[in-house]
Amino acid sequence: MARNRYDIDEQLEAPFDFTHLKRSYKYIKRYKGKMIGALVLSILAAITGLISPLITKHALDVTIPQKNVGELVLLAGFVLVCNIVSVALGNIRSRIMTVVGQNIIFDIREDLFAHLQELPFTYYDDRPHGKILIRVINYVNSVSDMLSNGIINFIMEILNMVFILIFMLIVDVRLTFVALSGLPLFMLVMFAIKKHQRRAWQDVSNKSSNMNAYLQENIVGARITQVFTREEENAQIYDNLNKKYRKSWMRAVKFSNLVWPSTDNISTWVRAAMFIVGLLVLDPATVSLGTLSAMTGYASRFWQPIMSISNIINSFINNIAYLERIFETLDEPVTIADKEGAKDIGSIDGNVSFENVTFGYEEGIDVLKDVSFSVKAGQSVALVGPTGAGKSTIVSLISRFYDIQKGRITVDGVDISGVTLKSLRSQMGIMLQDSFIFSDSILENIRYGRLDATDAEIRAAAKAVCADSFISTMSEGYQTQVNERGSKLSGGEKQLISFARTLLCDPKILVLDEATSSIDAKTEVLVQKGLAELLKGRTSFIIAHRLSTIRNCDVIMFIDSQGIVEQGSHDELMAKRGAYYELYTAQV
Amino acid sequence: MFQFKWLWENMKGSRRGYIIALCLSVVCNGLYITSPYFQAKLIDTFISNDNAIENLKNERTLFWWLIAGMIGLTFVRTVFQYACNMYYETASQGMIYNIRTKLFRRIENQDIAFYDRFRTGDLMTRLTGDLDMVRHMVSWVIKGAVESIALFTASMVYFFTIDYATALCILLMTPLILIIRRKLSKFAGPAYREVREKSSQLNTAAQENISGNRVVKAFAREEFEKEKFRSRDEEYRKANIKAAYVWLKYQPFIDVLAGSLSVVLLLAGGYFMIQRHLTMGQYVAISGLLWAVSNPLRNLGAYINDFHRFVASAGKIIEVYYFAPMIVDREDASTPAERLKGDIEFKNVSFSIDGKKILKDISFKINAGETVAVMGPTGCGKTSMINLIPRFYDADSGEVLVDGQGVKLHRLHALRKNISIATQDVLLYSDTIDSNIAFGDSSLDEEYVRKCAELSCANEFIERLPERYDTIVGERGVGLSGGQKQRISLARALAVRPAVLILDDTTSAVDMETEAAIQNALSNELDFECTKIIIAQRISSARNADKIIILDNGRIADMGTHDELIRREGYYKQIYQLQCGEEEGAVV
Repeated sequence: MARNRYDIDEQLEAPFDFTHLKRSYKYIKRYKGKMIGALVLSILAAITGLISPLITKHALDVTIPQKNVGELVLLAGFVLVCNIVSVALGNIRSRIMTVVGQNIIFDIREDLFAHLQELPFTYYDDRPHGKILIRVINYVNSVSDMLSNGIINFIMEILNMVFILIFMLIVDVRLTFVALSGLPLFMLVMFAIKKHQRRAWQDVSNKSSNMNAYLQENIVGARITQVFTREEENAQIYDNLNKKYRKSWMRAVKFSNLVWPSTDNISTWVRAAMFIVGLLVLDPATVSLGTLSAMTGYASRFWQPIMSISNIINSFINNIAYLERIFETLDEPVTIADKEGAKDIGSIDGNVSFENVTFGYEEGIDVLKDVSFSVKAGQSVALVGPTGAGKSTIVSLISRFYDIQKGRITVDGVDISGVTLKSLRSQMGIMLQDSFIFSDSILENIRYGRLDATDAEIRAAAKAVCADSFISTMSEGYQTQVNERGSKLSGGEKQLISFARTLLCDPKILVLDEATSSIDAKTEVLVQKGLAELLKGRTSFIIAHRLSTIRNCDVIMFIDSQGIVEQGSHDELMAKRGAYYELYTAQV
Repeated sequence: MFQFKWLWENMKGSRRGYIIALCLSVVCNGLYITSPYFQAKLIDTFISNDNAIENLKNERTLFWWLIAGMIGLTFVRTVFQYACNMYYETASQGMIYNIRTKLFRRIENQDIAFYDRFRTGDLMTRLTGDLDMVRHMVSWVIKGAVESIALFTASMVYFFTIDYATALCILLMTPLILIIRRKLSKFAGPAYREVREKSSQLNTAAQENISGNRVVKAFAREEFEKEKFRSRDEEYRKANIKAAYVWLKYQPFIDVLAGSLSVVLLLAGGYFMIQRHLTMGQYVAISGLLWAVSNPLRNLGAYINDFHRFVASAGKIIEVYYFAPMIVDREDASTPAERLKGDIEFKNVSFSIDGKKILKDISFKINAGETVAVMGPTGCGKTSMINLIPRFYDADSGEVLVDGQGVKLHRLHALRKNISIATQDVLLYSDTIDSNIAFGDSSLDEEYVRKCAELSCANEFIERLPERYDTIVGERGVGLSGGQKQRISLARALAVRPAVLILDDTTSAVDMETEAAIQNALSNELDFECTKIIIAQRISSARNADKIIILDNGRIADMGTHDELIRREGYYKQIYQLQCGEEEGAVV
């Protein structure tokens, strides 16, 4: 799929169908017992509700004419008791269903989030992050009621309908058919509306997703907007998305709001038909007035559940637009996953080798072609060369962030595609170009590297990268709360924190991708002194442009669009007078 | 109430529609009460009447009129209902639209203090879930409350016309509901604020996980993230259940109370009938419409509950809505000439963030067209210093002048239009490369975009991308290497042809050769005059500058040209020696 933009609707890969229903059942199944319990309670409440009118009828017919005040009080007491029982039953049902509803969305959200953790970089790279976020939070929230109360109410109304139908059949079959005659019409109308309504709500979900994607990008990029004084133009774009959303919403409710009035009208027509048929068409001898009276009553009651059902279906249709997006995300293929039978790689030494590796992010465009090299455990390797030549690509392949198209990458002689990702990555320390800071304390941000690290160890790691000194001057030291876009950390300081985080995890293989680009030269020297100690016993891959960083590495690889063109120590490459020599002399 | 005033304010443009909607819903309710009339009359005349059979023969016209009335009234009522609903939707969507556009502009124009305080996920919650609660309030709760009150009042008035004593007994029950309401209000408010808080935390957790997905994978922290998210989700779930339980605790009392109206009617009405004070017909009339009193009572409880939810959400939105940025145009600010010259002067400038001194007594002068490099250790205040020029911060004391005029006397927008920054943290939009470069001026033609890309040495790699300038880059420019992103960011800064160009560590991830080419382009090939301020870590980036400013711990430690600075002891000389000094003799 091509990359998605904030203003492009996402194509729906698999529209809702019965398999989706089956999948929804998976989430409901766990609470089947509770839901059946709730259903029973609802039925009991409904039955209790039926008793009161009977008592009232008795009071009116018998007690009051007899002027029996005592009995009247007694009966009123009964009605009160019925009322309380019915309310209590309903309340218990609500309590159960609240928990069930919350649990169901909790389960869905957990699965969705877990699946998102497995998805490769490309998934996140291909679409605005706001579009992913809105699915995890807002879409999941909206399906809660549909999958809990919606279902129970649906069943209740069906039961209701069936009961009344049975009563009607007992009283008069012919009039029952008149009452049922509205059904085909009802279905026809529902079907006609549904077709438009479905698409309209899908459009709403797309438009809200677009709008929120743009919003999120603008929150994150507010500073850039201000730098380029684009506020007004961005606001216009947002207004536009906002307008489109409003338009799609209005279109959707235009259809949704049709459902109830149409049903209401059809139900009236049916009742009118009952009068006409019962009084004028059928032979008066075969229809007693009592029957007719009862039947018109039943007809009204028969159509009430149908109207409720149409409302329930109505909200189902809105929410299905969200549910199918959730399932779509759950269906997103996990391209980088543990292979079947993948083994734990065990404790590694850190020998890394590439054997004729060919790789491209997109099909047909190879970034690396037939690359081979091997690095012994404990060696430090510098990757140099022009930007975009594939240096970052090489290091990201070692941790299997992407799968290669051809060749083999091994660690300690074991092909990394056959081992579990966790066992491999947890022994690697990767410091990326983007140092991401979580909104948490500095302490916790560093601890991310190794969760069981003690505070003292964290401090030691910070000291090793010369971060301790600036952290100590902050208002609350290591407890200072920081966040991604905040003002508290400078670019270099963010890198130092991210660096400390990487070192803390005590990796066998260390990857530093432009780890020190924003750090001043003097601090860098200090960092390197500390590093020299830390690098012992670890294989390290360092991507840097400052030659002072590179010079001391055991192996230097010069990489350009041709692949690895030179390889050797600083002295060897300088003696060779090739690309590295040129680069080096250009810098000084 | 303030929240309502705020809603009303934002309903500008849809106020009339909203009032029409409110009136229509009262009318619809009136029609709803009267709609059983025709059916009752039909039954009275043609079924339960003693002369039913004669009536059917003699009063055919009446029969058809009643049937027509029944169908016609339903039709009219449903048409009204539909119109009414659409008015509500139009008005509430119009209002939400207004709020949304205002919030967006508000967020865009905030200074950094705002972003220290509000996290992205939190802001997203406010503009999605919270806003939806506001919509729910306007299109549903207020509507329902108005309908309920109208229905209740109308029915009560009707009851009083029938029999004041019975009506009074029914009315006496209603104050009880006020007591319950007070109790409910006391607990519902805090419970919903809690839900709000948890939802915001959940959103933040998801948002940061999505944005930081690379870090998560690099450290193989998927399990940790799942656990973290799970615990947030668990808290959110619990808060939701707790809030629902607050409602469920009081709901039975309200329901029983509403239900016991029928008990009161049975008791009081029955007693009055025994006393011959009330007739059977009057009793039936009241009991037939009792729902129009009890349902509103029942619903009011739910509306009050929703109201508290609304208050919790509206509070969060209003907080952002009225959050005033500190840095705004002064009243006496002027719009300078079309284009500034680019003279910059700092006069004894001091600056602090959160009480921490960042800059102390900085003074220097840059003439239009000069190139100035700023160097210094990590966290010494370089970025903060340049941020004072476009007024992203205001100095505590001293003055920053552009073209001889204090920056506060320039209109913010005009000032920033003349200054362009290639920021340290490169943020690109998920849009095409072309649009990203033309971000500051979307009217730029493709040719000029390409020219800017050439100047920043980006053209070459862009041409190699699958769709060249039309390639969509992901959020934060993922998929591009650090150096590539920096070059696009540089091209973006050049494209606005600024009077002052600030490069904040913009070439740190670019290789030496490319950097030299960029420097050459910047000094010789620009088709506009500009002052350049370059923050850098490398000597190679700074050596050709007209002036080099060395910052240390917030003070200017030294200032001069490359030749001057390498002749005296100090930071610059040390760095020079570190980066190239010692080997200069050997190589050159």
